Amino acid sequence: MATSVASKRLFHEYRTLTTDPPDGITAGPLSEDDLFTWEALISGPADTPFEGGIFPATLVFPKDYPLAPPTMRFTCDIWHPNVYPNGAVCISILHPPGDDPMMYEKASERWSPIQSVEKILISVMSMLAEPNDESPANVDAARMWRERRDEYERIVRDGVRKGLGL
Amino acid sequence: MDKNFEITDSTDWLDTPLSSFSVLETALRCQVCKDFFDTPMITSCSHTFCSLCIRRCLASDGKCPACRASDDASKLRRNWTVQEVVDGFSGARPQALELARKESEEKEDQGKGRRKLKRKIVDTDLEEHTSPRRSQRTTRSQASRTEVTPAHAEAISIEDSDATAEESEDEQPEPDDGLVPCPMCSKRMKEESVFVHLDRCEEEQKQDKKRAAQVRLSETRSAHTLPQHNSTAPQRLPQLNYSILKDIALRKKLQELGIPAWGPKQLLARRHTEWINLWNSNCDSSRPRKKSELLRELDQWERSQGGHTRDSAIPSVMRKDFDGKSWAQDNSDQFQSLIAAARAKRNQKKEGQESKDTNGDTEMLETRTGPPNAANTETATNSDDSKIAHDADEAAVVSRVIPDVQALSSIRNKVQAANDGVLVQETPEDASTRILSLNGNSDQSQQMTSVPSLHPGSSESLGMSPVKKIPMFAIPEEPVKDIETEQAAQ
Repeated sequence: MATSVASKRLFHEYRTLTTDPPDGITAGPLSEDDLFTWEALISGPADTPFEGGIFPATLVFPKDYPLAPPTMRFTCDIWHPNVYPNGAVCISILHPPGDDPMMYEKASERWSPIQSVEKILISVMSMLAEPNDESPANVDAARMWRERRDEYERIVRDGVRKGLGL
Repeated sequence: MDKNFEITDSTDWLDTPLSSFSVLETALRCQVCKDFFDTPMITSCSHTFCSLCIRRCLASDGKCPACRASDDASKLRRNWTVQEVVDGFSGARPQALELARKESEEKEDQGKGRRKLKRKIVDTDLEEHTSPRRSQRTTRSQASRTEVTPAHAEAISIEDSDATAEESEDEQPEPDDGLVPCPMCSKRMKEESVFVHLDRCEEEQKQDKKRAAQVRLSETRSAHTLPQHNSTAPQRLPQLNYSILKDIALRKKLQELGIPAWGPKQLLARRHTEWINLWNSNCDSSRPRKKSELLRELDQWERSQGGHTRDSAIPSVMRKDFDGKSWAQDNSDQFQSLIAAARAKRNQKKEGQESKDTNGDTEMLETRTGPPNAANTETATNSDDSKIAHDADEAAVVSRVIPDVQALSSIRNKVQAANDGVLVQETPEDASTRILSLNGNSDQSQQMTSVPSLHPGSSESLGMSPVKKIPMFAIPEEPVKDIETEQAAQ
């Protein structure tokens, strides 16, 4: 494999994440042959209905990373206003600054080459704690979160329990 | 991976006593490539990145990656100071890290060693207790002195040199050489010559300064402007507006630059951008590389991001983690039909070669393809009447194809549907009739493949395809030829 800019940088990030991992986050490439597909585990933030859950996700990096952001998809069922029913995560840090037709995101929150996997995962963790219902990916979940918080939290807790096999 | 490049990282410091160096090292690394700055450039918003990194970023979206202020590659300026700091630090890093690691190892050893000492060597233990005011450092070095491994000896000597350095810095003792320093320039001389010196000292100093300034000036000139004075020094390439350039013009430009000029316009533009980034960052560098090296780098880009990216072209089948079993299951009906078609073809080929075959030979073939199952015998009897028209050889062919009844029937379904323009319903009643009709077809379906051979090189459009006009499953009058293999042979 040609040691491209992207793979070198990904290897760097992998090293940093293994030697100095942030709390509640584990991430790394699925195999050493392909540094462009990662698996990440995010633990549910404390004091939220997601607490206690472990949420696996896959990150797929483009060839021109870090100029373009990776895509992230939860591989488990997760009921959240900013996660599409297929698991894809909709969060501003994963959006390149170029396309923002709705203009609902601040430029400073969006992807830039100085962002990293670590920052993405931390952002996703805080997204779990504080959903952004202005641009919901899962409209039903967003409405439920806004109008029937109890029910929303119950569904989330059920999901966590199911995910843990309880 | 590690063989090709060893990746150093700021986190290397974390488990050493010098963990605060991690912050320093992070500051000396480019935030885009996470490596040490290579030819650092400062943007107009005062952020520093590697030349190549910031050029790539600006080429892609024209904004500073750190603060998203709009910027242009032409406004980038070199940041020599950072370059020097990085060079200095990365030069000192391996030794420093080794020392720091040794220190932490020693600490661990110390912890273990002390416990041992408490049990074995009571003297030193006592000594430690009796001198609680001593700094940890001295006790440590003393304790390590009791052990005489070479590694420790080395560590001690370094600590000693450390201590003397500190001393000399703190006190700066006057050398005992019987001379006194000049109060103005602190040049050392004999006491009696100081007054004579003082008269000229000011003037001398001025001259010295001038000389030094001249030297410095010429030094900086030689260091920073020499590459540009050089007649063969590379000139920075201007950016192009690809939207107003025609394909041919752009291709010509690439040829002039001596870089590959194949591919669609979009790829040409991307390649040109990458080349400009490589070339211009090389111009920034204080250690410019040869064009051949840059070309190699461009080739690497071509393979990882450019036109030679095989990843998109590689079907998932080629990947190492490919799940063969599920793939085989998902596509089993396609595989079956392909196998059936291949078998039918093979048989036809045989037929063509030995058009008047003996029955014994075909029987042998039959046994080779396996004994016909229940469905086979059923179809064999059912298709009796339709067989009448054919000779015994062809009947044998039918049964040879039968083992893939399912696959064949799915093909037949599709063919029928296409012919009738109606979807075939899969009701149980239909099933039997289907089998009947299909059995009638079964020998024909394998001849279907031979239909094209009746019209070799026919150029009719699909709309008026002869396949539709001529009865699709007609038996060829002339012996079947396999044009594909014939063509291959030619």
